[in-house]
Amino acid sequence: MLTKEELDHAAKILERPPNPTELAMLEVLWSESCSYKSSKRWFHLFNMEGERVVSNALEGEIGLVDIGDELLLGVTIESRNHAANAEPFHGASTGIGEIIRDILSHGCKPVGLMNCLRFGPLVDEHEVYKLKEVVRGLSYYGNSVGIPTIGGDTEFDISFKGRCVVNVACFGVVEADRVMRSTPLTPGHELIIFGAETSRDLTIPGTEKDIQGFVQTGDPLTKKTILDALEIILEERLLEGLQDIGSGGLASAAGRMVSHGNTGIEIHLEKVPISDTSMIPFEIITSRAQERMLCIVSPEKRERVLSVLKEFEIQASVIGHVTEDSNYTAFLNGEIVVKMPLKLLVEGFPVPSRIEIEDTPVDHPIDWVPETLDHRVIIKNLMHLTNLCDREWISSQFDQHILTSTVIDIGDNAGVIELPKGKLLAFSADCNSNWCRLDPWTGTANSAAESLRNLVATGAEPIFIADCLNFGNPERPESYGQYIDAFRGLGQFSSDFEIPIVGGSVSLYNEENIDGEIRRINPTPQIIMGGLFTEGRKPTRRNLVTPWANIFLVGKTHRELNGTDFQELQLGSRKGLPPRYLPGDEQRSMRAVLQAHKAGIIRSCNNIGRGGLAAGLIKMILQSEYGFTITVDDIPGTAKTLPEILYSETPARYLIEVTESNQPQFLGIMDNNDASVVELGLTQQEKIAEFGEFSLNIQEVVKSYRRGLRDLVE
Amino acid sequence: MNIAVLKFPGTTCDKDVQRALKLIDGAEPEIVHSKSKPEVLKEAKGIIIPGGYSFGDYVRPGALAANSEIMDGVIEMAAAGHPILGISNGFQMLTEVGLLPGTLLRNNNCKFICKWVYLRVCEESTLFTDSLAGLIIRIPIAHEYGNFYCSDHTLTALRNAERIPFRYCNSKGDPLMEFNPNGSIDNIAGVFNDKGNILGMMPHPERACRSLLGSIDGLIILENFVRGTQSA
Repeated sequence: MLTKEELDHAAKILERPPNPTELAMLEVLWSESCSYKSSKRWFHLFNMEGERVVSNALEGEIGLVDIGDELLLGVTIESRNHAANAEPFHGASTGIGEIIRDILSHGCKPVGLMNCLRFGPLVDEHEVYKLKEVVRGLSYYGNSVGIPTIGGDTEFDISFKGRCVVNVACFGVVEADRVMRSTPLTPGHELIIFGAETSRDLTIPGTEKDIQGFVQTGDPLTKKTILDALEIILEERLLEGLQDIGSGGLASAAGRMVSHGNTGIEIHLEKVPISDTSMIPFEIITSRAQERMLCIVSPEKRERVLSVLKEFEIQASVIGHVTEDSNYTAFLNGEIVVKMPLKLLVEGFPVPSRIEIEDTPVDHPIDWVPETLDHRVIIKNLMHLTNLCDREWISSQFDQHILTSTVIDIGDNAGVIELPKGKLLAFSADCNSNWCRLDPWTGTANSAAESLRNLVATGAEPIFIADCLNFGNPERPESYGQYIDAFRGLGQFSSDFEIPIVGGSVSLYNEENIDGEIRRINPTPQIIMGGLFTEGRKPTRRNLVTPWANIFLVGKTHRELNGTDFQELQLGSRKGLPPRYLPGDEQRSMRAVLQAHKAGIIRSCNNIGRGGLAAGLIKMILQSEYGFTITVDDIPGTAKTLPEILYSETPARYLIEVTESNQPQFLGIMDNNDASVVELGLTQQEKIAEFGEFSLNIQEVVKSYRRGLRDLVE
Repeated sequence: MNIAVLKFPGTTCDKDVQRALKLIDGAEPEIVHSKSKPEVLKEAKGIIIPGGYSFGDYVRPGALAANSEIMDGVIEMAAAGHPILGISNGFQMLTEVGLLPGTLLRNNNCKFICKWVYLRVCEESTLFTDSLAGLIIRIPIAHEYGNFYCSDHTLTALRNAERIPFRYCNSKGDPLMEFNPNGSIDNIAGVFNDKGNILGMMPHPERACRSLLGSIDGLIILENFVRGTQSA
C-alpha cells in the first residue's frame, strides 16, 4: 500500500491525483522489492566493483561477471517467500520460472540453478508438507525446462515456522559481444509481448505485506519452448532489448526497459493477449502472469521475430513502440488510461524515513557444557540434526546432470560445473541464520566466510558474491536494525576480501502478528558465492582418497561453543555470542590452502563449519572407503577441553589430506603464508574413526547422518 | 546425418545426446524436430529418442509423443531393422507405441530421483552391450516414471530371450532390491525388443561419456549403437 506521503508526492509531480490504473502501477513499482526504497541508501557499504564486474544488480541489471576468454557469467537471485508461504508448490516453481527469464533477458543461456530454503522444525506436519511441496515445485519446474540444479542450502529453525524462506538463483553464460543490456532506445522501435496470455487471477501487486493467497502458476512446457525460440532469435541478433515480465508485470517490465534513456513508451492495452475480455486496464498492466516476455525490435526485424515465435507456436503481439517523450503512456481503444513520467514511476518515490535500533549482542558464559560427555553419542546425535544431516532426500529430487556439465554433484563443499571453453566454476550457498539472530553483523560476515571456505576447499578462487536479504518489517526499528547490521557485515566482508557483490535481492516483511506478538524470521542474509579454477586444475572433493596419508588441521580453534549446533543439541536453543569473524586468520588460511591446491598436493579437503572439527572429519569418510586415526592433544588456539576442540565452530579452518612425500612442501606453504597448522593423524585402510580417547561405530554414525531428514519426512 | 535425434516440444536432452554422439567417429547426429515429416527419418541409419518432458508429460509421460505423426517413421525404421535407442522419456514413448514391452510406472517413492546408479550388464553380448557383457557399469538416472512393470508372462519371455540388458545393482553387481531406485520389476533398467534392434533404458548414457563427469560407461553403449547403425 502507498503511504499518504507517497500519494501526495505523486499527485504533486503529476499535478493531479493519479487515476486507479496509475495508482496500481505506482504501488507495484514503489514496493520494496521493485524500488529497494529502504535499502538503496545502504548499497554504498557494499564493494560492488572489480575488474571482473561488467554490471551489478544496482544498475537495474543482473550481475554480469567476466570469467575470461570473452565469456560472461550472468548471476541472479530472487526470493519467493511470500508466494511459497501462500502456496508452496506454485510459489516455488514460478520462482524458478522468473529467475530463468531474468537470465534470458540478458541474452544468457541458463546453465545452473540453486535454491536456499528455510523451514520450521520438521516435528510439525505442516512444515513437512511445505518442505515437500516447495521441493516438488522447484524440482518440477527446473527439471522440466532442462537446467541442472547445482547447489543450495537448507536450514530449519522455529522462527521460520509458518514463514518459510525460498530463495532461488540462476546462472547463465553469454559471449561478451552478445549480451543484451538496457541501453537508451531508439524512438520508433516496437514492443512485442510474447509467451502466455495475461490473466487476471494474479493481479495483486508485489507489495509484500498484502499478498494473501494470490499465486501465479507456472507452465514449464511453454517456458522450454520460449527457451528454444529465443536461442534462434538471439543467435540471429534480432533484438534491441529483452525483458522478463515478472513481479510488477507490464508496468515494471516496460518501465525498466526504457528508463535508461530519455525515451518513453506507448503501449496499447487492447493488443495485449488476455485470457478474459472483461479485464480492466489496471489488471492488464500489473498482472504477474507467468511465462511472458517483452522485447524491443526495430521495424525491419519485426517480421522475422514474429515468424520465429510462430514457428514455435508461441503467441506474440506488437503492443506499442518507443517514443521521444519520457513518459509511460498506455491507451485502451484509443483512450489514454496512463500517462506518467517514467522517472516518477521507476525512481521517483520519496525516500521513506526509517529508524534503526542497533542490536546489542549479549554474551553468555559457557557454563552449560556438562563435565562428562559420551562423545560417541554426541557425534552420532549431532550428525542426525536436521541442520547438519544428509540432504540427499532433497537434492536427489533435482536433475543435477542435465546439460552434461556437472563435475561435482550437490553434497560436497561446493557444486562444480563446466562452462564453455573448458572453464570450471564452483558455487556455494550459506547462511547461518541463528548466528545472524545472535549478532547480525558477525553472523552475516561469518556466513560469507563459510561460503568462501566452501569454494576454497574445492580449490576455486572466489570471484563474486550474490545475496538475498530476508528480513522482517523495516518499519520496525529493531527489525530495521538487524537489516542494516547485515548490510554492514556483508559490506565489511566484501571489502576485506575484495570480492565484489554483483547480484542481490531483498525480501522484507517476513513476519506475522500473532495475537499481538510479532513473530519474525531469523535475519537471513543468504550468501551465494562463485569461484573459478585456474586453468588445468581439477576440483578437489572432501572424501579421503588415500590410505596412510596425513590429515592436517589448518587454522586456530577457539573456545567458541555458543551459537553452535553442539549448543543446540545440548540446550535445545542457541544463546550468547556466535563465533567471531576473523578476517586476518581467514585470509591466511585461504591463501595457504589455495597455494597448496595450485601445487597439486591436496588429496582431499573439507571446510570446518557446523558441528566443528568432529563433523568435519566425519564428512570426510562418509563417501570414502577409508577411515582415520587422530589425536587432538595439541591444537593451536584457545580451545582446551575436548568439547571445545571437537565442536567449536571457529571460522578460518580446513581439514586437509596430504600424502607423506608431499608433507614438507605442504608445511612450507603453510609457513610461508603464516597459517596455523597441526597434523592430527593418519588416514586408515579401514573405514574407522579413532579419536584417541574414543572411537566411533562408523556404521551407526553414517546411518544417523543418512536418516536425519528421512526420519522426519518419510 | 546418419543418426536422427528426435526432439519433441519439451524434450530436454537432445543437445546432450548430440554432444555425446559427436565424440564418436563416424557419427553424424542431427536433431530432427517432431513436426518434420516421417520420411525425413529415412535419411538416417538409426534413431535416438532422448529424455525430457515431451509435451510437458501431460496426460502421461510419452503418451502424446507416441501419438504424433513422426512415430510412423520410427515404427517403419524399427521394422527395417535399424537400431533405435530410447532414453528415459524416449523409453516411455517406445513402450507407449508398443515397440517395447511393459510400461513405466511412477517411481515407488512417488518422487523424481536423480542419482548415480550401478548397472549389471547381461552376460550375452548384444548389439548394444558389445564389450560390456557381464560387467558392472555406472550411469546416472533422472526420472519420475522409471518403475518398469510387465506381466509375469512377459517377464519370463524377457528373461528367457536375454532381453534384459541392464539391471540395477550395487557396486559389486548384486541386483538387490535395496539398490533398486524406483521399484522396477526384477530391478530392470532397460529392455530390448524381440529382434534386439531397439533398446529402451531409464539411465542416461549421454551423461556418462566423459571422465570429467565421473564415468565413460555410457559412451560405450553409444559407440555400440553407432556401430550398429553402420552395419544395418
